Amino acid sequence: MSALDTTLASFADWPLAQMIAESTWMFPAFESLHVIAITLVVGSIAFVDLRLLGIASKHRSVTELTAEILPWTWGLFALAATAGAVLFISNAESYFHNIPFRLKMLCMGLSGLNMLFFHAFTWRSVHLWDHGPTQTGAKIAGGLSLTFWVLVVVFGRWIGFTVHTNM
Amino acid sequence: MLQALTKWLAATPLSQTIQEILWIIPLIQSVHILAIAIVLSSVGMIDLRIFGLAGGRGTLRETAQRFVPWIWGALAVLAVTGSILVIGEPGRSLVNPMFQIKMGLLVCAIAVIATFQLTVTHRAAMLEANGRTPATLKLFAILTLLLWFAIAIAGRWIAYMSLGTPL
Repeated sequence: MSALDTTLASFADWPLAQMIAESTWMFPAFESLHVIAITLVVGSIAFVDLRLLGIASKHRSVTELTAEILPWTWGLFALAATAGAVLFISNAESYFHNIPFRLKMLCMGLSGLNMLFFHAFTWRSVHLWDHGPTQTGAKIAGGLSLTFWVLVVVFGRWIGFTVHTNM
Repeated sequence: MLQALTKWLAATPLSQTIQEILWIIPLIQSVHILAIAIVLSSVGMIDLRIFGLAGGRGTLRETAQRFVPWIWGALAVLAVTGSILVIGEPGRSLVNPMFQIKMGLLVCAIAVIATFQLTVTHRAAMLEANGRTPATLKLFAILTLLLWFAIAIAGRWIAYMSLGTPL
Protein backbone atom coordinates (compact mmCIF):
# COMPACT_ATOMS: atom_id res chain seq x y z
CA MET A 1 0.00 0.00 0.00
CA SER A 2 1.39 3.39 -0.99
CA ALA A 3 1.46 6.33 1.41
CA LEU A 4 -1.34 7.92 -0.59
CA ASP A 5 -3.54 4.83 -0.29
CA THR A 6 -2.87 4.74 3.45
CA THR A 7 -3.94 8.37 3.74
CA LEU A 8 -7.06 7.77 1.66
CA ALA A 9 -7.94 4.71 3.73
CA SER A 10 -7.46 6.68 6.95
CA PHE A 11 -10.35 9.01 5.95
CA ALA A 12 -12.66 6.11 6.74
CA ASP A 13 -11.72 6.51 10.44
CA TRP A 14 -12.87 10.13 10.55
CA PRO A 15 -15.99 10.56 12.68
CA LEU A 16 -17.86 12.13 9.73
CA ALA A 17 -16.99 9.21 7.45
CA GLN A 18 -18.11 6.74 10.11
CA MET A 19 -21.35 8.60 10.68
CA ILE A 20 -22.12 8.44 6.96
CA ALA A 21 -21.16 4.78 6.78
CA GLU A 22 -23.50 3.91 9.64
CA SER A 23 -26.39 6.09 8.53
CA THR A 24 -28.93 5.05 5.92
CA TRP A 25 -29.98 8.59 5.00
CA MET A 26 -26.81 10.72 5.27
CA PHE A 27 -25.20 9.63 2.02
CA PRO A 28 -28.34 10.23 -0.09
CA ALA A 29 -28.86 13.54 1.76
CA PHE A 30 -25.38 14.86 0.92
CA GLU A 31 -25.77 13.45 -2.58
CA SER A 32 -29.06 15.35 -3.05
CA LEU A 33 -27.41 18.55 -1.82
CA HIS A 34 -24.48 17.93 -4.20
CA VAL A 35 -26.80 17.32 -7.17
CA ILE A 36 -28.98 20.38 -6.52
CA ALA A 37 -25.94 22.64 -6.09
CA ILE A 38 -24.19 21.24 -9.17
CA THR A 39 -27.28 21.55 -11.40
CA LEU A 40 -27.58 25.20 -10.36
CA VAL A 41 -23.86 25.73 -11.01
CA VAL A 42 -24.04 24.13 -14.45
CA GLY A 43 -27.33 25.81 -15.41
CA SER A 44 -26.20 29.28 -14.34
CA ILE A 45 -22.84 28.90 -16.11
CA ALA A 46 -24.72 27.66 -19.19
CA PHE A 47 -26.73 30.91 -19.32
CA VAL A 48 -23.46 32.90 -19.36
CA ASP A 49 -21.90 30.51 -21.91
CA LEU A 50 -24.94 30.77 -24.19
CA ARG A 51 -24.67 34.58 -24.06
CA LEU A 52 -20.98 34.34 -24.99
CA LEU A 53 -21.89 31.99 -27.84
CA GLY A 54 -24.56 34.43 -29.03
CA ILE A 55 -27.38 31.89 -28.60
CA ALA A 56 -29.36 33.34 -25.66
CA SER A 57 -29.78 36.70 -23.85
CA LYS A 58 -28.30 38.31 -27.00
CA HIS A 59 -29.55 41.77 -26.09
CA ARG A 60 -28.22 41.79 -22.54
CA SER A 61 -24.91 43.27 -21.49
CA VAL A 62 -22.29 40.61 -20.82
CA THR A 63 -20.79 42.48 -17.85
CA GLU A 64 -24.24 42.99 -16.30
CA LEU A 65 -25.27 39.36 -16.83
CA THR A 66 -22.04 37.97 -15.35
CA ALA A 67 -22.23 40.38 -12.38
CA GLU A 68 -25.75 39.11 -11.63
CA ILE A 69 -25.11 35.40 -12.09
CA LEU A 70 -21.51 34.54 -11.24
CA PRO A 71 -21.52 35.42 -7.50
CA TRP A 72 -24.37 32.90 -7.07
CA THR A 73 -22.48 30.39 -9.20
CA TRP A 74 -19.42 30.69 -6.93
CA GLY A 75 -21.47 30.26 -3.75
CA LEU A 76 -23.25 27.23 -5.16
CA PHE A 77 -19.95 25.82 -6.39
CA ALA A 78 -18.57 26.08 -2.84
CA LEU A 79 -21.66 24.20 -1.60
CA ALA A 80 -21.34 21.51 -4.31
CA ALA A 81 -17.62 21.11 -3.58
CA THR A 82 -18.20 20.84 0.18
CA ALA A 83 -20.95 18.23 -0.22
CA GLY A 84 -18.76 16.49 -2.80
CA ALA A 85 -15.83 16.40 -0.35
CA VAL A 86 -18.08 14.80 2.28
CA LEU A 87 -19.15 12.13 -0.25
CA PHE A 88 -15.50 11.61 -1.20
CA ILE A 89 -14.35 11.13 2.41
CA SER A 90 -17.02 8.47 2.95
CA ASN A 91 -15.33 6.23 0.35
CA ALA A 92 -12.05 7.97 -0.52
CA GLU A 93 -10.04 5.01 -1.83
CA SER A 94 -12.76 3.85 -4.22
CA TYR A 95 -13.38 7.31 -5.60
CA PHE A 96 -9.71 8.08 -6.02
CA HIS A 97 -9.15 4.98 -8.14
CA ASN A 98 -12.37 5.42 -10.10
CA ILE A 99 -11.75 6.48 -13.73
CA PRO A 100 -14.95 8.53 -14.21
CA PHE A 101 -14.14 10.36 -10.94
CA ARG A 102 -10.71 11.27 -12.29
CA LEU A 103 -12.16 12.37 -15.62
CA LYS A 104 -14.68 14.53 -13.74
CA MET A 105 -11.87 16.21 -11.76
CA LEU A 106 -9.91 16.68 -15.01
CA CYS A 107 -12.88 18.41 -16.67
CA MET A 108 -13.30 20.69 -13.66
CA GLY A 109 -9.60 21.56 -13.84
CA LEU A 110 -9.85 22.28 -17.57
CA SER A 111 -12.91 24.44 -17.03
CA GLY A 112 -10.95 26.35 -14.36
CA LEU A 113 -8.05 26.94 -16.77
CA ASN A 114 -10.48 28.02 -19.48
CA MET A 115 -12.04 30.50 -17.05
CA LEU A 116 -8.63 31.85 -15.94
CA PHE A 117 -7.55 32.38 -19.55
CA PHE A 118 -10.88 34.03 -20.38
CA HIS A 119 -10.70 36.46 -17.48
CA ALA A 120 -6.97 37.18 -17.88
CA PHE A 121 -6.96 37.80 -21.66
CA THR A 122 -10.31 37.70 -23.49
CA TRP A 123 -12.07 39.81 -20.84
CA ARG A 124 -9.73 42.78 -21.48
CA SER A 125 -11.67 43.66 -24.63
CA VAL A 126 -15.13 43.11 -23.10
CA HIS A 127 -16.04 46.78 -23.66
CA LEU A 128 -15.92 46.08 -27.42
CA TRP A 129 -18.49 43.24 -27.31
CA ASP A 130 -20.38 43.89 -24.08
CA HIS A 131 -23.66 44.87 -25.76
CA GLY A 132 -23.54 43.06 -29.07
CA PRO A 133 -22.16 39.97 -30.78
CA THR A 134 -19.14 38.59 -28.92
CA GLN A 135 -15.58 38.11 -30.17
CA THR A 136 -14.28 34.76 -31.38
CA GLY A 137 -12.22 34.33 -28.18
CA ALA A 138 -15.33 34.74 -26.04
CA LYS A 139 -17.28 32.28 -28.21
CA ILE A 140 -14.50 29.69 -27.84
CA ALA A 141 -14.42 30.21 -24.06
CA GLY A 142 -18.22 29.80 -23.87
CA GLY A 143 -18.17 26.65 -26.02
CA LEU A 144 -15.34 25.08 -24.02
CA SER A 145 -16.97 25.92 -20.70
CA LEU A 146 -20.29 24.40 -21.78
CA THR A 147 -18.53 21.25 -23.02
CA PHE A 148 -16.47 20.78 -19.84
CA TRP A 149 -19.47 21.27 -17.53
CA VAL A 150 -21.66 18.88 -19.51
CA LEU A 151 -18.84 16.32 -19.19
CA VAL A 152 -18.60 16.99 -15.42
CA VAL A 153 -22.26 15.94 -15.13
CA VAL A 154 -21.84 12.91 -17.42
CA PHE A 155 -18.74 11.63 -15.61
CA GLY A 156 -20.32 12.46 -12.24
CA ARG A 157 -23.34 10.28 -13.00
CA TRP A 158 -21.07 7.60 -14.40
CA ILE A 159 -19.26 7.37 -11.03
CA GLY A 160 -22.45 5.98 -9.49
CA PHE A 161 -22.44 3.10 -11.96
CA THR A 162 -18.78 2.18 -11.51
CA VAL A 163 -17.53 3.05 -8.04
CA HIS A 164 -18.90 0.05 -6.16
CA THR A 165 -17.50 -2.51 -8.58
CA ASN A 166 -14.16 -0.78 -8.93
CA MET A 167 -12.76 -1.75 -5.56
CA MET B 1 -52.52 -3.00 -11.66
CA LEU B 2 -49.20 -1.14 -11.32
CA GLN B 3 -47.49 -4.47 -10.69
CA ALA B 4 -49.00 -5.91 -13.87
CA LEU B 5 -47.99 -2.84 -15.87
CA THR B 6 -44.45 -3.06 -14.47
CA LYS B 7 -44.20 -6.70 -15.43
CA TRP B 8 -45.58 -6.10 -18.90
CA LEU B 9 -43.29 -3.09 -19.51
CA ALA B 10 -40.18 -4.95 -18.36
CA ALA B 11 -40.91 -7.71 -20.89
CA THR B 12 -41.34 -5.40 -23.89
CA PRO B 13 -38.57 -5.50 -26.53
CA LEU B 14 -37.84 -1.78 -25.99
CA SER B 15 -37.32 -2.32 -22.26
CA GLN B 16 -35.16 -5.37 -22.95
CA THR B 17 -32.97 -3.33 -25.32
CA ILE B 18 -32.54 -0.53 -22.77
CA GLN B 19 -31.62 -3.12 -20.11
CA GLU B 20 -29.12 -4.90 -22.33
CA ILE B 21 -27.18 -1.89 -23.65
CA LEU B 22 -25.41 -0.85 -20.48
CA TRP B 23 -24.51 2.73 -21.40
CA ILE B 24 -28.08 3.81 -22.22
CA ILE B 25 -29.27 4.32 -18.61
CA PRO B 26 -26.23 6.35 -17.42
CA LEU B 27 -26.31 8.47 -20.60
CA ILE B 28 -30.06 9.14 -20.39
CA GLN B 29 -29.71 9.93 -16.66
CA SER B 30 -26.98 12.47 -17.53
CA VAL B 31 -29.22 14.18 -20.10
CA HIS B 32 -32.03 14.11 -17.51
CA ILE B 33 -29.80 15.89 -14.95
CA LEU B 34 -28.68 18.49 -17.51
CA ALA B 35 -32.34 19.27 -18.25
CA ILE B 36 -32.98 19.57 -14.50
CA ALA B 37 -30.05 22.03 -14.41
CA ILE B 38 -31.88 24.19 -16.96
CA VAL B 39 -35.21 24.04 -15.05
CA LEU B 40 -33.71 24.82 -11.62
CA SER B 41 -31.51 27.62 -12.97
CA SER B 42 -34.38 29.16 -14.95
CA VAL B 43 -36.62 29.10 -11.87
CA GLY B 44 -33.67 30.57 -9.94
CA MET B 45 -33.23 33.42 -12.45
CA ILE B 46 -36.96 34.28 -12.32
CA ASP B 47 -36.80 34.21 -8.51
CA LEU B 48 -33.76 36.51 -8.49
CA ARG B 49 -35.70 38.95 -10.70
CA ILE B 50 -38.70 38.77 -8.33
CA PHE B 51 -36.37 39.71 -5.48
CA GLY B 52 -34.83 42.47 -7.62
CA LEU B 53 -31.43 40.77 -7.64
CA ALA B 54 -31.17 40.11 -11.39
CA GLY B 55 -32.68 41.10 -14.71
CA GLY B 56 -31.20 44.58 -14.84
CA ARG B 57 -33.72 47.29 -15.63
CA GLY B 58 -36.03 44.89 -17.45
CA THR B 59 -39.54 44.00 -16.26
CA LEU B 60 -40.53 40.75 -14.60
CA ARG B 61 -42.47 39.96 -17.75
CA GLU B 62 -39.29 40.24 -19.84
CA THR B 63 -37.39 37.94 -17.50
CA ALA B 64 -40.30 35.46 -17.53
CA GLN B 65 -40.45 35.53 -21.32
CA ARG B 66 -36.72 34.85 -21.44
CA PHE B 67 -36.70 31.88 -19.06
CA VAL B 68 -40.16 30.23 -19.06
CA PRO B 69 -39.66 28.83 -22.61
CA TRP B 70 -36.42 27.20 -21.36
CA ILE B 71 -38.41 25.55 -18.54
CA TRP B 72 -41.00 24.11 -20.96
CA GLY B 73 -38.28 22.95 -23.37
CA ALA B 74 -36.32 21.27 -20.58
CA LEU B 75 -39.53 19.69 -19.22
CA ALA B 76 -40.12 18.14 -22.65
CA VAL B 77 -36.59 16.67 -22.53
CA LEU B 78 -37.28 15.45 -18.98
CA ALA B 79 -40.51 13.77 -20.08
CA VAL B 80 -38.74 11.93 -22.91
CA THR B 81 -35.65 10.90 -20.92
CA GLY B 82 -37.76 10.08 -17.85
CA SER B 83 -40.00 7.84 -19.96
CA ILE B 84 -36.99 5.99 -21.33
CA LEU B 85 -35.74 5.43 -17.76
CA VAL B 86 -39.16 4.15 -16.65
CA ILE B 87 -39.46 1.84 -19.66
CA GLY B 88 -35.93 0.52 -19.06
CA GLU B 89 -36.36 0.05 -15.31
CA PRO B 90 -40.10 -0.08 -14.51
CA GLY B 91 -39.49 -2.06 -11.33
CA ARG B 92 -37.20 0.68 -10.01
CA SER B 93 -39.72 3.45 -10.64
CA LEU B 94 -43.43 2.78 -11.12
CA VAL B 95 -43.95 0.82 -7.90
CA ASN B 96 -41.47 2.98 -5.97
CA PRO B 97 -43.21 5.30 -3.43
CA MET B 98 -40.53 7.96 -3.94
CA PHE B 99 -41.19 7.95 -7.70
CA GLN B 100 -44.91 8.36 -7.01
CA ILE B 101 -44.23 11.28 -4.66
CA LYS B 102 -41.98 12.84 -7.31
CA MET B 103 -44.71 12.59 -9.96
CA GLY B 104 -47.24 14.16 -7.57
CA LEU B 105 -44.89 17.07 -6.84
CA LEU B 106 -44.19 17.42 -10.57
CA VAL B 107 -47.91 17.86 -11.36
CA CYS B 108 -48.01 20.68 -8.76
CA ALA B 109 -44.87 22.30 -10.22
CA ILE B 110 -46.26 22.23 -13.77
CA ALA B 111 -49.51 23.82 -12.55
CA VAL B 112 -47.44 26.50 -10.79
CA ILE B 113 -45.43 27.39 -13.92
CA ALA B 114 -48.54 27.48 -16.10
CA THR B 115 -50.31 29.75 -13.60
CA PHE B 116 -47.26 32.00 -13.33
CA GLN B 117 -46.92 32.22 -17.11
CA LEU B 118 -50.61 33.11 -17.61
CA THR B 119 -50.52 35.70 -14.83
CA VAL B 120 -47.31 37.36 -15.98
CA THR B 121 -48.54 37.48 -19.58
CA HIS B 122 -52.08 38.75 -19.00
CA ARG B 123 -51.92 40.48 -15.64
CA ALA B 124 -48.35 41.72 -15.42
CA ALA B 125 -49.57 44.96 -13.82
CA MET B 126 -50.94 42.99 -10.89
CA LEU B 127 -47.50 41.53 -10.19
CA GLU B 128 -45.57 44.76 -10.56
CA ALA B 129 -47.79 47.53 -9.26
CA ASN B 130 -45.80 50.81 -9.19
CA GLY B 131 -42.62 48.84 -9.83
CA ARG B 132 -42.99 47.09 -6.47
CA THR B 133 -43.10 43.35 -6.00
CA PRO B 134 -45.88 42.14 -3.68
CA ALA B 135 -44.79 40.05 -0.71
CA THR B 136 -47.06 37.20 -1.83
CA LEU B 137 -45.12 36.97 -5.09
CA LYS B 138 -41.85 36.67 -3.13
CA LEU B 139 -43.35 33.93 -1.00
CA PHE B 140 -44.56 32.22 -4.17
CA ALA B 141 -41.02 32.47 -5.60
CA ILE B 142 -39.47 30.78 -2.55
CA LEU B 143 -42.12 28.04 -2.42
CA THR B 144 -41.70 27.31 -6.13
CA LEU B 145 -37.95 26.91 -5.78
CA LEU B 146 -38.43 24.64 -2.72
CA LEU B 147 -40.95 22.57 -4.71
CA TRP B 148 -38.36 22.00 -7.45
CA PHE B 149 -35.70 21.12 -4.85
CA ALA B 150 -38.12 18.56 -3.41
CA ILE B 151 -38.60 17.08 -6.89
CA ALA B 152 -34.83 16.80 -7.39
CA ILE B 153 -34.36 15.23 -3.94
CA ALA B 154 -37.20 12.74 -4.53
CA GLY B 155 -35.61 11.92 -7.90
CA ARG B 156 -32.26 11.11 -6.33
CA TRP B 157 -33.96 9.15 -3.55
CA ILE B 158 -35.67 6.83 -6.08
CA ALA B 159 -32.36 4.97 -6.20
CA TYR B 160 -32.45 4.33 -2.44
CA MET B 161 -36.09 3.32 -2.17
CA SER B 162 -35.92 0.66 -4.87
CA LEU B 163 -34.67 -2.82 -4.11
CA GLY B 164 -31.16 -3.66 -5.20
CA THR B 165 -27.96 -1.64 -5.40
CA PRO B 166 -28.38 2.14 -5.30
CA LEU B 167 -27.00 3.88 -8.37
